[in-house]
Amino acid sequence: MFGTRLRKTRPHAGDDRCVADLVAALGVERVRSDGAARLLASTDASIFRGGAAGPVCFPDSTPQVQACVRIAAVHRRPVVARGAGSGLTGAAAPLGSAVVVSTTRMNRVLEVDVENRTAWVGPGVINLDLTHHLGPHGLHFAPDPSSQQVCTIGGNVANNSGGPHCLAYGVTSAHILAMEVVLSDGEVVMLGGLDAEPAGYDLRGAFIGSEGMFGIATRIAVRLTPDPPAVRTLLLSFADVDSAAATVGAIIAAGLVPAAVEMMDRRCVEAVEDFVHAGYPRDAEAVLLIDVDGMAGGVEAQATKVDEIARGLGGRVRVAADEEERQLLWKGRKSAFGAIARIKPDYYLHDTVVPRGKLVEVLRAIHEIVDRHGLLVLNVFHAGDGNLHPIIAYDSRQPGMSEKVREAGREIIEVSLAAGGVLSGEHGIGVEKRDFMPLMFSDDDLDQQARLRGAFDGLCMMNPGKVLPSPHSCSDITELTEAKGDLWG
Amino acid sequence: MDLGLDRSELDACVSCGLCLPYCPTYRVTGADIYSPRGRIALMRAVQEGGAPLTDEVVDSFETCVQCRGCEPACPSGVPFGHLIESTRESLVEHGHRPPLRLRVALHALGHHSLLLAGSSGIAVAQRLHLVPKGLPLPAKLPVRRSRLDASGDDVYLFTGCVMDAWQRDVHAAVKRVIEACGFGVSPTGGDAACCGALHQHAGLGDDARAQAQRVVDSLGDTKVVLVDSAGCGAAMKDYGRLLGTAEARAFSERVFDVHEFVAGHVDGLPGVEPLDLRVAVQDPCHLRHVQKAHMAVRSVLKPFVREIVELDDEGLCCGAGGAYSVVQPELSHLIRDRKTAAVEEVAADVVVSANPGCLLYMRQAGVVVAHPMELVARALDA
Amino acid sequence: MGLIRSPESDPILVDFASEIGSVGPVVVRGGGTHWDLGGGSDPAAREVRPPEGIVGIRAEEMTVEARAGTLVSELHEALRPFGQRTSLPESPGSTVGGTLAVGWSGIARLGRGQTRDSVLQVHYVSAEGRLITAGGPTVKNVSGFDMCRLLVGSLGTLGCMADMILRTRPIPEVEVWHRVVDVDPAEVLRRCRTSASILWDGRSTWVLSAGYRADVDSDLRALSELGSLRPDHPPDLPPIRWSRRPSDLFDMSRADAAVGRFVAEIGVGVVHTENPVEPSPPSPGTVALQRRIKDALDPTGRFNPGRRVGGI
Ligand SMILES: Cc1cc2nc3c(=O)[nH]c(=O)nc-3n(C[C@H](O)[C@H](O)[C@H](O)COP(=O)(O)OP(=O)(O)OC[C@H]3O[C@@H](n4cnc5c(N)ncnc54)[C@H](O)[C@@H]3O)c2cc1C
Ligand code: SF4
Ligand code: SF4
Repeated sequence: MFGTRLRKTRPHAGDDRCVADLVAALGVERVRSDGAARLLASTDASIFRGGAAGPVCFPDSTPQVQACVRIAAVHRRPVVARGAGSGLTGAAAPLGSAVVVSTTRMNRVLEVDVENRTAWVGPGVINLDLTHHLGPHGLHFAPDPSSQQVCTIGGNVANNSGGPHCLAYGVTSAHILAMEVVLSDGEVVMLGGLDAEPAGYDLRGAFIGSEGMFGIATRIAVRLTPDPPAVRTLLLSFADVDSAAATVGAIIAAGLVPAAVEMMDRRCVEAVEDFVHAGYPRDAEAVLLIDVDGMAGGVEAQATKVDEIARGLGGRVRVAADEEERQLLWKGRKSAFGAIARIKPDYYLHDTVVPRGKLVEVLRAIHEIVDRHGLLVLNVFHAGDGNLHPIIAYDSRQPGMSEKVREAGREIIEVSLAAGGVLSGEHGIGVEKRDFMPLMFSDDDLDQQARLRGAFDGLCMMNPGKVLPSPHSCSDITELTEAKGDLWG
Repeated sequence: MDLGLDRSELDACVSCGLCLPYCPTYRVTGADIYSPRGRIALMRAVQEGGAPLTDEVVDSFETCVQCRGCEPACPSGVPFGHLIESTRESLVEHGHRPPLRLRVALHALGHHSLLLAGSSGIAVAQRLHLVPKGLPLPAKLPVRRSRLDASGDDVYLFTGCVMDAWQRDVHAAVKRVIEACGFGVSPTGGDAACCGALHQHAGLGDDARAQAQRVVDSLGDTKVVLVDSAGCGAAMKDYGRLLGTAEARAFSERVFDVHEFVAGHVDGLPGVEPLDLRVAVQDPCHLRHVQKAHMAVRSVLKPFVREIVELDDEGLCCGAGGAYSVVQPELSHLIRDRKTAAVEEVAADVVVSANPGCLLYMRQAGVVVAHPMELVARALDA
Repeated sequence: MGLIRSPESDPILVDFASEIGSVGPVVVRGGGTHWDLGGGSDPAAREVRPPEGIVGIRAEEMTVEARAGTLVSELHEALRPFGQRTSLPESPGSTVGGTLAVGWSGIARLGRGQTRDSVLQVHYVSAEGRLITAGGPTVKNVSGFDMCRLLVGSLGTLGCMADMILRTRPIPEVEVWHRVVDVDPAEVLRRCRTSASILWDGRSTWVLSAGYRADVDSDLRALSELGSLRPDHPPDLPPIRWSRRPSDLFDMSRADAAVGRFVAEIGVGVVHTENPVEPSPPSPGTVALQRRIKDALDPTGRFNPGRRVGGI
């Protein structure tokens, strides 16, 4: 695809025999070992900056991925799969000069089976591209992370990603039927299947959410969801966060399952409104963006009920007049993380989940924590399922700031877990949250997870150093804390 | 190494990656190094992290089409166009000059009569089959150009450099339409020869500023300046920032894309039978992402054609990018392939593009392309 | 040091764990409704009863926590006053733990979702006799590897489930079964968006339409254009279960002796028949991987010996 362009870049001396073997197997145009390419493959969208990529490969077939894995094994290098690099936990940031396997060129929708409502896709297909592709069939891929315009299906599978509309439709795991995976020994296995109840252990289910540590997905069969015949988007605004949170609780308690219930606080609304100009109310302390969808009758009934509940709790209600307004409102919501940079250059966020009934309490506690540290927090989150995204906006160049931010992050996790919550709702653990795992799991629990990992990857070479804190992680393949190496050598 | 970049502009990028799919070079390569986020990270690495300016780093910067598709996609408001322009200028200062043939060509742009003569020379050579195929030239350059006389003194029509040499027919059509709206048109001709956009993209900042100043000086009254080339229009609307003078800012205020202008007077045009055409609109990047005036093309065209269809690629670049197709032919072709695929998808009779570079570049790939104003003029004359 | 309530603090779980112990073959017996699945259990294995009872209904969270030995029917009975239920199918005598160990979904899968997607957290006893927490209590969670999915359908060969937190769903405003004869079941699927279940025996099609009244009514109107709709009960299901792709079902015919009487779940792919079928062999790589998982979690093979899952 970008043949001669890459041919111009020469393999770098520092990068040895492993590179030579990769070049021999994949062709020079599919391997980059220059400092610039490695620098960029060392990070994702998180603030983690400790990554150290080795050569970056761009395979476009399963055998090429196999070759990458086999060659890495020979040279005792870890392997890290990389999708769009939009992860928020450093999961795609390689440690120990790993061979990076970029899936961006395995980006074809291979087959759409309208009758069975399934599609086979390459792991590098962009989430929104897939849904776009399916438009003419009246189908879509239901998981819709706010990063859907860029993140890949492979990344979604690896992180078991969610999104606003997963409230009603379920997260990625509920929408994946099968995948072809290259394991660390170079074997290709098919996990799951297209029939109703594939026999055996749910290896598919175990793989989803494994953050690239069980193998590399090279082909994925996704379940397709029919587009709802009717959708209505309501924007509710409130004079205080508590009423907004109470409204969420009341909606769920009333037995409604809206397609999405998202909350943004005032600061976040301001940042977003500066970007989209969608008419978000700047004077509200909190807004809820709600989609109800389905057939006309249900949509009407749910919208009426939501309206009633919101007004009862002092909210103002605006209904999107047309598709254009709907899209604009949603664009605002989905741009929220990026828009935050309008306030401060760095952001750090967690995505704990708390019981919906505890939203008010936990949000208050978060504000207390952040105030105590003299930091700034913005809230934009999947309120319907209690999945918080408290974003601390800060400037990492201010001395001592990063430490303060991390400390506040830790306290946020603690109050969330103490309220009966969990560490991560959708972004995963990666490196950033790895060391918090013992707050949620006992040594025995982690040991079981480590064993499962060992069954998939006995060599401990797939994305080592993630998810499991030491001593449950095996970092024997290479000293992962190895200095960054000389990128520019 | 100092790239002369404003720290706060660099800081605005939080590496979220939301811009990636809107970048043509990322789309066709899937490589971070050819993405806006990657380019910004490298700018940072070079300016603040002490990274050397290796060939690959330079390549990353030089492969940017400067289409600015990443800008409207960025929720954080990163002024990417500005960052890359400054970077390119610094590259030139550090000896990474554009290729000689490009520099020669760019030099010619400011010398209008020279350019016109040269172009006619190429046109003759073309007919003698002396010009290699694959150069970004119209298949048949005009040997002779019709004259473009002033019809009044209400508005300027900026005629530019290459556009005037190669596509004076477009100017004629534009002029025809503006006149139909009830305005006398004064073509700018040789004095305001070239807007300087190409120089600026190539990192030749001083040349760009000199050209800009010439344009400002030669059109120094209060008439509005209409531009029918999106790239020129975008550059001229930015003179205020480029030159940093009150005079330049005032000038920029007077610049309009011709579609913006006509859209405001479309009701004044005579009602005519629409052309029986299904027309696909290709938005030039600098009209859509920079001037944000692309919707005007639709409102102007609507009464004059049977049907307008949208390309399903969210305004991704066509790969022409001023001189990009000459300097980066490989990526440029891959980008164009995506565009032609999107064009085929909609099965239109004709594609319209409000930028001469895009128009020629797509035409070279066998796509039937016209300037929107050509269709309007044709409908008015039918 | 964990902030999550430890299962060790729950005497019932601790008792169960000590009953399972850390040595010797052992099998947990739920309702025994699918006891012979996977080739039946080794008689040498000690049978242990799981704890019973509902731990807590958190209606406003739409979750419920129950012991593995709780009857699904009892669980649903308790949830009914809250207008909720789980995705788990009810068959007489089946327990929550047993249903998860088998992993099958119910016939109303189109509307109520899959069994495997409904599990949020499981406490189970490991082969070493330790109490393990898999997953977490909230409706959404991706902390760590997904042990819950692995346990569902593992027939008790990887761990002994003690209690679980399940997601609940609202019971729809209206749920009605109808039957229509001699119509294309694919057409029924197309026309009836509210269908929670479509069953077809080659001649009759049964539809469970569920949702808001207005929507169910409009779907039923659309269906009645196909043929005369009669209120009915779902048919009895033949005992054997095949797993197919949804589109494979439309080719089935009552005349096919190899199939015999059948009831097919349209849009899903499950077929209930009289006749057993040779399962298609799993790929060798998958068998090896499953073997490794079994060996990793139950190194001595003490959990439910004799029971075969997916070719191992
Ligand atoms: C602005 C913004 C908004 C976001 N919103 C959401 C949201 O709403 N919900 C949500 O869940 N997440 C969200 N995210 C996080 C992120 O986008 C998701 O986690 C996404 O699924 C990552 O996909 P990716 O292609 O970028 O993967 P990467 O970041 O490239 O990789 C993520 C992990 O997946 C692994 N991986 C990638 N491809 C494969 C493969 N083929 N096989 C095996 N492993 C693989 C990598 O090794 C890594 O561990 C957001 C991120 C941003 C920047
Ligand atoms: S969208 Fe903006 S903030 Fe995000 S990576 Fe691109 S330039 Fe940076
Ligand atoms: S200007 Fe265009 S080519 Fe350059 S980084 Fe932005 S989107 Fe990509």
